[in-house]
Amino acid sequence: MAKGESPLKQFEIQPIIDLNLFGLDISFTNSALWMTITTAFILIFFTLPFLKSKKTNSVSDLYPSRMQVAAELGFSFINSLLTDTVGKEGKKYFSLVFTLFMFILFGNIFGMIPYSFTFTSHIIVTLALAMGVFIFVTVLGFVKHGVKFFSFFVIPGLPIYMLPLLIPIEIISYLSRPISLSVRLFANMLAGHTLLKVFAGFVSALGIFGILPLVFIIALTGLEILIAFLQAYVFAILTCLYINDALHLH
Amino acid sequence: MPQLEQVEFFISQLFWLGVFFVILFLVLTYITLPKIRAFLNQRDDFVKSHISKQDELIKKAESIIENYEAKLTEAKNQASEIINEAKDKALQESETLIKATEEKIQQEIRQTEERVTKEKDLAISELNFQLKDSAINFISKVTKIDKGKIII
Repeated sequence: MAKGESPLKQFEIQPIIDLNLFGLDISFTNSALWMTITTAFILIFFTLPFLKSKKTNSVSDLYPSRMQVAAELGFSFINSLLTDTVGKEGKKYFSLVFTLFMFILFGNIFGMIPYSFTFTSHIIVTLALAMGVFIFVTVLGFVKHGVKFFSFFVIPGLPIYMLPLLIPIEIISYLSRPISLSVRLFANMLAGHTLLKVFAGFVSALGIFGILPLVFIIALTGLEILIAFLQAYVFAILTCLYINDALHLH
Repeated sequence: MPQLEQVEFFISQLFWLGVFFVILFLVLTYITLPKIRAFLNQRDDFVKSHISKQDELIKKAESIIENYEAKLTEAKNQASEIINEAKDKALQESETLIKATEEKIQQEIRQTEERVTKEKDLAISELNFQLKDSAINFISKVTKIDKGKIII
């Protein structure tokens, strides 16, 4: 660790191009740069293998190429995730869950590249995503059930005198969903990356014994890649569960 | 912590997050995912059509086997019928042959018997005549009476 460089320096936002829109600072920053890279990568990865249609109408068209198999894997992964949690009605929300999962997954994965920037390690980004999901499922619930959506907060089969206690608890737990959803992702990314940088500092500080933290970092990098996937998965599956709640109430 | 300290970049982050998320969502929804879905559906259709074709072929093969077995049993029945008929026919023929032969033999025996009795009668009558003749000759020689006047 160079002197004066804190392990948190990696999370600092640096503007690349200064931009202003109606007096608002919308500078293109390193965060925006990695969002661009993530978006471009996802679009290329999933679109390019399916663009060149040979249209020879022969059986060989049906054999997927390697890239097609890889893209198909992501497709069927989200597909089974959605059908397992929501059922057949969930197909409508496929592209939302797919976009969320891929955006967070590749945001996390690209954050593992040294000297890159992890935009999912910023609470404002994860909170915005979680609030988006929260507002979406709430609106969905109201559109599907109207005023009956409030019955979601009443647990069926409960004695009447318990309701004054449990309804506020249910409402609080419902309102805290976006917070838990966003903080979970943000905190995992923050903690993992900070830990990596702290141990990276030990490597140079300990001299010859720096080999020990180095080994630890290598193992931790593997774990972080797992967490990068896992957190994207958790975000996606919770979104599916919230959609399921909004569609079926209880 | 820069996440909470760099408040001045919150709007920039939200803006670019919105921009890229919406771009990603729209392109995925209207271009990429339909393409992937079409590709997968095409393959599923191909596999399904082949499975149904296979089922048809299996049914066809089964009906052919049934047909074959039915024909085989029919042929077996026919063969045993033919064999039985042939046996009966042969038996009848041999019986008629035996009967005919027996009749012929009996007829010949009868004819022979008839011939024998006829010849016997003839011989007896001839013998009678010769005895008469010799008796007449003897009488005429003894009595010296003309042969023509002797009547026995």
